[in-house]
Amino acid sequence: MQEISFRNDILPLKDKLFRLAYRITLDRAEAEDVVQDTMMRVWNKREEWSTYDSIEAVCLTIAKNLAIDRSQKKEAQNVELTTEMEQAADASGPHDQLVESERLQLIHKLINELPENQRAVMQLRDIEGKSYKEIATVMQMTEEQIKVNLFRARQKVKEKFLAIDGYGL
Amino acid sequence: MDYKNIEELLKRYWECETSLEEESQLRDFFSKEEVPAHLLPYKDLFVYLNKQQETGLGEDFDSRMMSKIEVAPVVKAKRLTLISRFKPLFRAAAVITLFLMLGNVAQHTFLSNDALDYNYNNYRDTYDDPDVAYKKVSSALMILSEEINKSQSTSLADSLKANADSVVKE
Repeated sequence: MQEISFRNDILPLKDKLFRLAYRITLDRAEAEDVVQDTMMRVWNKREEWSTYDSIEAVCLTIAKNLAIDRSQKKEAQNVELTTEMEQAADASGPHDQLVESERLQLIHKLINELPENQRAVMQLRDIEGKSYKEIATVMQMTEEQIKVNLFRARQKVKEKFLAIDGYGL
Repeated sequence: MDYKNIEELLKRYWECETSLEEESQLRDFFSKEEVPAHLLPYKDLFVYLNKQQETGLGEDFDSRMMSKIEVAPVVKAKRLTLISRFKPLFRAAAVITLFLMLGNVAQHTFLSNDALDYNYNNYRDTYDDPDVAYKKVSSALMILSEEINKSQSTSLADSLKANADSVVKE
């Protein structure tokens, strides 16, 4: 087993962990705290590093759990985003008047509007490019459940995205 | 450009039947400038997914994290090294005592069998109390005289016996 060093193997995971935590908590500061807590936890268990199959999967799992714990304490966030998104959709005028970054903002909100598990799975698959097997370990679910979650997430994004786009036109 | 392929991939993407390679192929395709009009609605989604790979934490996070892990747990690490640091010391001490003991034993066996000291001037008193010394000496002399008397009487008896024998023979 290869020697794992904190600086070379765990610290570089910070962006991936941050993106996952950010996707779940929807709050930058909160996500940064999650990454910090995750790394502290992994650091405190450094005697066990050699027994892990994949340190990345372990880190992602811890980050996911911490992020879900935190976001459950701030449940109101989802409702807030929905209303905001509807307003944005209403205000969105003709297609070519939309600046590209605004449309990206819209997609951002669309994905963040999904249930926690779905957006976490979509994050891991479509942004981090992980295999179903890896996602299953991180999310502590079966591969089948992952596929179901991903399917629902993509369908919902497609549906809503095309609907909003239709309004725009 | 073969858009049929992309359309097919897109259809399978929504059904979650695409492989990881095919999905990155889709993201690559949509991040290019020229995308046909009928596929344009999907462009932003894939551009968004692609762009999200770039978000992350700044360099300052690294230093903050490193300082955090170096403050608390290093004390623990130090405690570990203290124990292990004593180990070679103990070993060295054990080896040194072993050598000292061996040296002592060697000195005793090689140097202690020298000849008796006949120089009476070097002799020192073994008793502090002269009375005790006197008693010891007198008892020793008493034993000696007793033994001498015993041997003298037996030798006299022996010689008498011998004389008697010779007389008998004559």
